[in-house]
Amino acid sequence: MVKIKYLSIGVLIIIIGIVITVVLLPSEEKKVKKQFNLLSGYATKSPEESGFTLLQKMKNIGSLFDEQCELKAPSQSLSGNYKREEISSYAGSARSYFSQLDLRFYDFNIVFSEKGVARVTLTSRLTGKSVAGEQVDETRELECVLKKIEGKWLFSQIEVVEVLKK
Amino acid sequence: MPIPNQIRKFFFPSFTPKFLIRIFLVALLAYLFFGYICIPFTIRGTSMEPTYHNGGFNFCWRLGTLFSEPKRFDVVMVRFAGSRVMLLKRVVAQESERVEFRDGKLFVNEREIEEPYVHYPCDWNLPPRQVEKGFVYVVGDNRSMPIENHHFGQTSKSRIMGVPLW
Repeated sequence: MVKIKYLSIGVLIIIIGIVITVVLLPSEEKKVKKQFNLLSGYATKSPEESGFTLLQKMKNIGSLFDEQCELKAPSQSLSGNYKREEISSYAGSARSYFSQLDLRFYDFNIVFSEKGVARVTLTSRLTGKSVAGEQVDETRELECVLKKIEGKWLFSQIEVVEVLKK
Repeated sequence: MPIPNQIRKFFFPSFTPKFLIRIFLVALLAYLFFGYICIPFTIRGTSMEPTYHNGGFNFCWRLGTLFSEPKRFDVVMVRFAGSRVMLLKRVVAQESERVEFRDGKLFVNEREIEEPYVHYPCDWNLPPRQVEKGFVYVVGDNRSMPIENHHFGQTSKSRIMGVPLW
C-alpha cells in the first residue's frame, strides 16, 4: 500500500516535470510565434509616439525580415521581392497613415516543411484610426514563410490569402 | 440562523474524489461544447446591420452547416485561418449561379432577387460573374457604404464554420 502511494507520487512528479519542461522550454514553434509578437509590437502605434520611437520601430521591423522578402498582396498593390530596407520604409509610410494602430495575430498553424523553414498560416487583424480620424478594422488570412538564418527566424515570404473574391 | 445542511453542501461541497471527477467532466464538456460546437462571439462592425448590430453577442452553431449545404439567404460564419476571427455574411448565390448588382439590386441568373433584409439604400453596380464549383457567394445586409468598402464575394464552402444561433 505504501509502495503504491510512493509510486503514485513519483509518477505525478514526473508528469508535472514533463509539463513544466514542455511549457517553459523555448521550442522552435515558440520562437516562430515570438517573431510575430515582435512584429505586432513594432507595428503598434499610440497617438503620443515620438519621432525617435518611430525610427527605432521602423528599424526593428526591418530586422525581422530576410535580406529579400517576397510580398504577395495584390489587393494592396504589393507584389514582388523587396529588400529589408524597402520593407522598413514601406512600414514607416504605412504607419504614418495612422494616428493609432494595433496589429494582432490569431489562429497560428505552424508547419516545419523542411529543416530551417517554417510555413505559417494565421489570421491578422489590424485596427486603428487614420490621421483623418477614420476608423480602420481590417482582417486578413496570411501565409508566411520564415527561414532560420543564423539562429533567427526571419520572414522571407508573406502572402495575403483571398478569403472573399468579388 | 443556521444554514440548512443541504444548502451548505451545495455551495460549499467537500472535495471528495467523486466531486473532483464531476468538476473535471463538466469543465471538459464545457470546453468541447463552447470551443468546437457552439462558439461564442461578439459582433464587431456594421456590415450586417440592421439584422445584426455592432457589439451584439451570439453563438456560432457549427452543427448548422455540418450536415447540410448552406442555402440562399442563410446567414453564415466564414472563417479565416481559424475560428478566433470570422465574418458574418449572408449567402446570396450558390455554385454555378451568376451574380450581378444593378443599381443596388441583386440579380442571380438574370433574375432580380427580393431581399427584404436590406433596409438601407444601395447603389452598387457589379458586372455579372459566375460562382465557382465548391463556392458560395456571400454579402452583408448593410450595403449603404461604397461597394469598394464592403467585404463580400465568393468563398469556399469549406470556410463556412456554421450559422449564428439566433
